Amino acid sequence: MKYKISILLILFILILSESCMVNKSTSSNFINNKRKNIVFISKMSYGYHWATVKQGAIAASKEFNVDIDFAAPDLEENVEEQIKLVNNVIDNNDKTVNAIVLAASDYDELVDVIEKVYDKNIPVIVIDSEVNTSKISSNIITDNFEAGKKMGNILVDICGKKAKIAIMSFIKGSRNAKQREDGLISIIAKYPDIKLISKEYCYSDTSLACNLTKKLLLENEDIDGIVALNDISSEGVALAVDEMKLGGKVKVIAYDSTTQELHYLEKGVIQALVIENPFSIGYLGVKFAVDKLNGKKIPSKYLMETKVIDKNNMYLPENQRMLFPFVW
Amino acid sequence: MKEKMMKEVKKYYKLFKNSIEFKSIQFVISVSFILITILAMLFIGIALYNKVSRLSEQNAILNTRQIIDQVNTNLDYYMKSMIEISDYIDNAIYNDYDLQNGNLKQQMNVIVNSRKDIVTLAIFSEDGELILSVPSDKMKSTTNIKEQDWFTTPLKEPGNLYFSSPHVQNIFDGQHRWVVSLSRKITINKNGRRIPGVLLVDMNFSVIEQLCTKVSFGEKGYIYIIDSKGNIVYHPQLPLINVGLKQENVKEVQEHVFGRYFDKVNGERRLITIETVNFCRWRIVGIAYMDEISTVKKDILFYIFWVFVFGILLFIFISAIISSKISRPIKQLEKSMKMVEQGQLNINLDIKGEAEVAQLSRTFNLMVLRIRQLMNQIVQEQESKRISELNALQAQINPHFLYNTLDSVVWMAENGKHDDVICMVTALARLFRISISRGKNIINVSEELEHARNYLVIQSIRYRNKFEYEFNIQEEALRYKTLKLILQPIIENAIYHGIEYMVDKGKIKISVSIENDKLLFIVEDNGVGIEPEVLNSLLDKELNKKRDSGVGVKNVHERIQLYFGKQYGLKIESELDEGTIVQIWLPLIEEVSKEDKQNEI
Repeated sequence: MKYKISILLILFILILSESCMVNKSTSSNFINNKRKNIVFISKMSYGYHWATVKQGAIAASKEFNVDIDFAAPDLEENVEEQIKLVNNVIDNNDKTVNAIVLAASDYDELVDVIEKVYDKNIPVIVIDSEVNTSKISSNIITDNFEAGKKMGNILVDICGKKAKIAIMSFIKGSRNAKQREDGLISIIAKYPDIKLISKEYCYSDTSLACNLTKKLLLENEDIDGIVALNDISSEGVALAVDEMKLGGKVKVIAYDSTTQELHYLEKGVIQALVIENPFSIGYLGVKFAVDKLNGKKIPSKYLMETKVIDKNNMYLPENQRMLFPFVW
Repeated sequence: MKEKMMKEVKKYYKLFKNSIEFKSIQFVISVSFILITILAMLFIGIALYNKVSRLSEQNAILNTRQIIDQVNTNLDYYMKSMIEISDYIDNAIYNDYDLQNGNLKQQMNVIVNSRKDIVTLAIFSEDGELILSVPSDKMKSTTNIKEQDWFTTPLKEPGNLYFSSPHVQNIFDGQHRWVVSLSRKITINKNGRRIPGVLLVDMNFSVIEQLCTKVSFGEKGYIYIIDSKGNIVYHPQLPLINVGLKQENVKEVQEHVFGRYFDKVNGERRLITIETVNFCRWRIVGIAYMDEISTVKKDILFYIFWVFVFGILLFIFISAIISSKISRPIKQLEKSMKMVEQGQLNINLDIKGEAEVAQLSRTFNLMVLRIRQLMNQIVQEQESKRISELNALQAQINPHFLYNTLDSVVWMAENGKHDDVICMVTALARLFRISISRGKNIINVSEELEHARNYLVIQSIRYRNKFEYEFNIQEEALRYKTLKLILQPIIENAIYHGIEYMVDKGKIKISVSIENDKLLFIVEDNGVGIEPEVLNSLLDKELNKKRDSGVGVKNVHERIQLYFGKQYGLKIESELDEGTIVQIWLPLIEEVSKEDKQNEI
């Protein structure tokens, strides 16, 4: 009798252990099904810069196995719509959002909604520009002041210590534009003979930038150089200079590296580019969000370096990789 | 302080030691059994784990090597096909005297159109002049071809095929394609002259990517390709590499042409397998995470762990059963011995166990039996000694009684009462005859009654008119036998303690009958009775040793019980001033037993 009981007991234990193992395998499958969901809100949906940022984010989403919803207002200056987009994320009960990666369009106006998200314990990674709050998980930005300084240095190199220049900025009140401008001015202020004739805003519109440049060049024939502060304004300025057949005469210092800009660089219309690393911004934004969700420590501020490209160094292997998107 | 602590520890150790029976057989067997099993299982488990994990690791290494080999073969084949294309064009150029006639261009067009991986086919003169290109594009005015590696190297080292590093092909207007350039020195017919030139085959990465993407080692493992200078040709995360978000340890890889090594990244052991493609000297590098590719290792650890746990549980269980099976009969034996120690001798062990234990219990049984026999013997000896003592006592005639009787005889003779003298002496003679009765202990009931009657005759003469007596006899009872001299002590007691102090005339009734298959004598008097506390102690063995009275009564009681057992003997009822009834219970004896006869001898 006693032995029978013991045999039954052993069988029972074996069955139990077997079932344990089965349970384990099924439960691990279950975990895999539950993917993290990250919302990615950029400043606008078109343009080389944002397309590249998006590519970086997609690369990261594939690597870390997360879902990403992309959203952006139609125009960069449309701050209200961006606030609405962020609010949608909080109010949407159908889909749980684990983290938000946000390229804030305004330094002050998005503070309220960002803090609201942060207080809901949703990690907020702010990329590309700064916001006026400490209630964020991390901030990934290009060192815009440094970028402006680099532009200033090239300008001095190319145009000499005596020159008349103009600035083509993109949005009035944009902190990024302001910082780049400040960096630039901090250099040219050292040279009293460099005169800033005009500062224009193109509102991230290529044709407006082009027209403004043409007007500027017609009004001031003695302009030596124009500094454009973002990709769209750069293309507009280069287009105007090229169309007016002033390539090489009016030096253009541009920002970012769109295909058009590279074309003009090779053509000699643009003399130098200051490039940032939008791919990395997008990639790191998502990576930090994932790290935060996994309980890893992430830096509260991450500064991206910028780089100066000219015709001579653009085909160096390390620069090739940065400038030309790799298409299989 | 320390000493105090030590003391405490020692105390608890002692408590612990005492709470578990360290020396019990069951404990010793269980513990040693379990220890041996754990050791054995540990030994086997570790040995097994080592062997299996080594095997699985070797297997995993072999697998990765095979996969890389496969990729290598495919890449080899692909490169070869490229070389064949270039061979083909080289031949065509060599044989074609007029490059501009469109024949060659048509052939080249077919090749480019049929192969998606070939981006450009181009022929340059030694001076860097573009002679023919498919698809036909305008060359950039700004580019200096003579600075490009793919152009200069074949011219410097003729006969060699040159595979460039991946680069952006920037010779054509509006194009910035990433390509690998295959170039070689050729001879062109130009204006009837044979001049050296360069053939360029630009290929994109579509085929290389196809060959490599599907290869993976587990979730995280991957392969990448570097060229002979250490530039990355293919990498699944090339965009990240390009912007510097990810690095590969290319330097260490470059030290190996073929082989494998292990490294550790973020605490994870990685297997790095390297192989070199023949024609282009590219290195295929396979990165495999050991914990992914040899999952067997983890599985087997998990498995061994559970087997270990269940095994130990099982063995604890089994050892508990076995040890209890072994120790149970011993414990039983121990228990029985304790009972014997406490005086219980009527124990018979029926222990089925191992041979030794069974033998032990048999011997134990024998020993207990022997002790029991010896004790019985002692009891019997004691009893028979007692009986003979009592018999001897009984045989003594109370000298006081004899003296009194003879005194009475003398007194009667002096007064000339001859009849009374004769009567008394006759009764005395009969009394003695029966009381001797040839040494027999068991006599007929009638003889016993006769003895009592003679005694009463003598006493009634002595205590003249003090009492009267009567006999009440059931005829049937006379057939049986009785222990002798049991009535006389009772009657003596009734006279001396009951009737002698009476004012009125006393009366003694003696009857014999058969009740409930037992022989019953009753001696009844109407004397002063016995006080309750005296009555209670009358038949008690120890209490009335000092007292003279009742010695005879007790003696009778003891003798009957010694002879016939506890269920026989005296029962006395008495009430003060009313009288006393003494019942004497005896078995029905028809024949004298052998034992009794022996006793008589």
